[in-house]
Amino acid sequence: MSIVTVQLGQCGNQIGFEVFDALLSDSHSSQGLCCKRENEAYQASCKERFFSEEENGVPIARAVLVDMEPKVISQTLSKAAQSGRWKYGQHACFCQKQGSGNNWAYGYSVHGPRHEESIMNLIRKEVEKCDSFSGFFIIMSMAGGTGSGIGAFVTQNLQDQYSNSLKMNQIIWPYGTGEVIVQNYNSILTLSHLYRSSDALLVHENDAVHKICAKLMNIKQISFSDINQVLAHQLGSVFQPTYSAESSFHYRRNPLGDLMEHLVPHPEFKMLSIRNVPHMSENSLAYSTFTWAGLLKHLRQMLISNAKMEEGIDWHVRPSLSGPSSLGKMSLNKDLHFNTSIANLVILRGKDVQSADVEGFKDPALYTSWLEPVNAFNVWKTQRAFSKYEKSAVLVSNSQFLVKPLDMIVGKAWNMFAS
Amino acid sequence: TCALWQLLFRVLSPLPAGNALASIALEVQARLVKSALCSQGYPRLALAQLPEDGSQGSRELLLALSWLLARGPVPEQMLAQTRVPLGDEMTVCQCEALASLGPPAPHMEAEGPVDVRHVQWLMGKLRFRWRQLVSSQQEQCALLSKIHLYTRGCHCDQNLGHLSVTEAEMLRDPEGGQKVSGAGAAHNLDLAYPKGLHFSCTPGVGPRTFWNDLWLIPRLLPGDWAAPLDPGGASACSLLSPLRVLLRTLEHESRRLEAVLAWRRAEPVFWQWMDTVLGTCAPEAPAAASQPTFLPWVPECGDGELELVVRELQTLEEELREAVERRRVAWEAKARGCGRGPEWSAARRAFRETVEKELGALQRCWEQDSGPAPAHGPHRLVRREDGAAGDRDLQAAELIRTLRSQEACLEAVLRQLQGQCRQELARLAGALPGLIWIPPPGR
Repeated sequence: MSIVTVQLGQCGNQIGFEVFDALLSDSHSSQGLCCKRENEAYQASCKERFFSEEENGVPIARAVLVDMEPKVISQTLSKAAQSGRWKYGQHACFCQKQGSGNNWAYGYSVHGPRHEESIMNLIRKEVEKCDSFSGFFIIMSMAGGTGSGIGAFVTQNLQDQYSNSLKMNQIIWPYGTGEVIVQNYNSILTLSHLYRSSDALLVHENDAVHKICAKLMNIKQISFSDINQVLAHQLGSVFQPTYSAESSFHYRRNPLGDLMEHLVPHPEFKMLSIRNVPHMSENSLAYSTFTWAGLLKHLRQMLISNAKMEEGIDWHVRPSLSGPSSLGKMSLNKDLHFNTSIANLVILRGKDVQSADVEGFKDPALYTSWLEPVNAFNVWKTQRAFSKYEKSAVLVSNSQFLVKPLDMIVGKAWNMFAS
Repeated sequence: TCALWQLLFRVLSPLPAGNALASIALEVQARLVKSALCSQGYPRLALAQLPEDGSQGSRELLLALSWLLARGPVPEQMLAQTRVPLGDEMTVCQCEALASLGPPAPHMEAEGPVDVRHVQWLMGKLRFRWRQLVSSQQEQCALLSKIHLYTRGCHCDQNLGHLSVTEAEMLRDPEGGQKVSGAGAAHNLDLAYPKGLHFSCTPGVGPRTFWNDLWLIPRLLPGDWAAPLDPGGASACSLLSPLRVLLRTLEHESRRLEAVLAWRRAEPVFWQWMDTVLGTCAPEAPAAASQPTFLPWVPECGDGELELVVRELQTLEEELREAVERRRVAWEAKARGCGRGPEWSAARRAFRETVEKELGALQRCWEQDSGPAPAHGPHRLVRREDGAAGDRDLQAAELIRTLRSQEACLEAVLRQLQGQCRQELARLAGALPGLIWIPPPGR
């Protein structure tokens, strides 16, 4: 089933481009470690989901690009066309000349309603192209004006007009020391609106991704393009085809639906994070070998110690031996270093994936008291390797990872408001 | 006698025919027959007292069979159950949906306090599944529409004009050996293969992808695809081509139709004979108000749990009987106490009027623009350009209009009930001082 991507604002459009690029280059990769027929099925599934076919064979991304300034969109369109392997639809973008001035209200209350019809028309056209439509993937940042304000507005509209379709918002959490003065206001307004109209909020923190670029990829001068590529790699490893659970002869038809059903059925807990291992520069990759046991051990510790990457994991954090806390009561003095999860989904790709042992994630101590590990934890295994990594594991989790950052943002916003 | 028990079981059983039925023991079938007849109101006690090993009672069983045949068109109903659907079908009435609800689930005692968050979790999962179901149905409709559009003019029956999925698939791949180009893995259209929703293929736009789309449909259609299979030949079918399987099932259906016709011709003789049979029976006292209930009982299992369940059911039955008695006594006392005073009859009149008014409003709202009620059972979907419909044909646009107005009525009622609920909650919250009430975001 197909997913329509809505790219909003500078951030959304730049990330969107990297995501489509990563998906397509992985699907064409020759290092999939599987037979030709398998590879073809993988490619076909990826294409059906994210691209539509044009007469001359060049796949067109199922995407709508929206921005209030023309510069980023035209850059994005030309980069895609230059690659020669895919492109955006000719009439798939909407832009204006004014910009939003990092003002959430301007995006939400002025631009949104003013351009509502044009934007929704574009989206409708894209949805009608899909034979089977699963849902929307909306990429936006929280701190600016266009992505956040228009993003909140558009998501609300999608909720009204496509109430049966799924909506996942990919949100960029701003740098703690970000440049936009009102980013905390913008963030809070965005989150509160999205919480009502979106089904799942997939959060990427700029600070965390920045560190991955610096420490794991060893990039000296980190540009937005580097950050976006790391992001795209993580998203790709989640959304590329995986086998359905019942039989491993077919690729899963509705990954978005399955993911949401596993992770965010509770209406009050919608925030998801992604962690993946391994992640390194191509040069280092050539000299590294991995075992599933090692990868999964790291991933598990990253989860419970709330680490965002492989380096610098705090191995002292351990689940408490007395088991999960009693019904609902958590003393305020409890050390919040241990990251409790509501639900986790682990996706494994690569060689010997069937032998990977995920028992460590089924420990009840990792989860809350009201959900058993059998319901809270799922694993998807696929043999076809992803993007040159012989073995890769990614964890999508609904956990407490955002409690601290959220507290900080709320605190800062309140201080600013009250001063 | 055994054959009669089995026949009655087959007639009364709600399950479709299949290999599963043959494996149920005779005693179990007999028990189920007794229970089903009793619940349908069969008046003769003698049948209830028959031994279940099939040693005697053929006359009683014959009487029971004729009772069933007299009540309703049994052969026709059974034919309808095993019909071979050649067209693309959809039911319009709500009967099937309501019937499949079944008896309410037994009240399960929760082991200890249930966390409401867990319940919310499960509710959320249900909601997601529901939405996915709606999406799948929309997908199915879009593909059906395409197939009907692209096969215009292909059907020999001018009234229909286009092919159904079954017909088109038979044309495309009668031998069941062709692979569909563009699909990654090779999947033969094998009717015996359990239908699954997992596959990958590249549907696109335009008629050239028509055959791809066609191949998707059998995977999406629920349920019926397995129905045409003859139970006896299920394993053999997998070796036959789909076309031959379809032909075979159609032949079986023709034979069944001919058998029913023969029965109808010979029926008067049967009834004359049954009159004589009834005449030889001793007259029975009218059935007592409380008949013994028959609990379905599987003797061979010997599972401790089942015996527990049986015992629980028996205690439940006792409790219910006592509760009914108590209620009846209490109500009678109350009703007598109320007396026939003017106050009481005035109140009763007022109640009746409000209820009638509400029901009337609901019914009026329901029946607005609905025209004649749509017939029951499945209807074949036919796409027509000219808009000329026969007398018995239903137009999709009208049906949609009817359904939309019904939906609007129900939504109005829902909103009203939600409002009442909110008011009640606010009242309860207001009763507790110091409690801050944060209502959930209105949807």
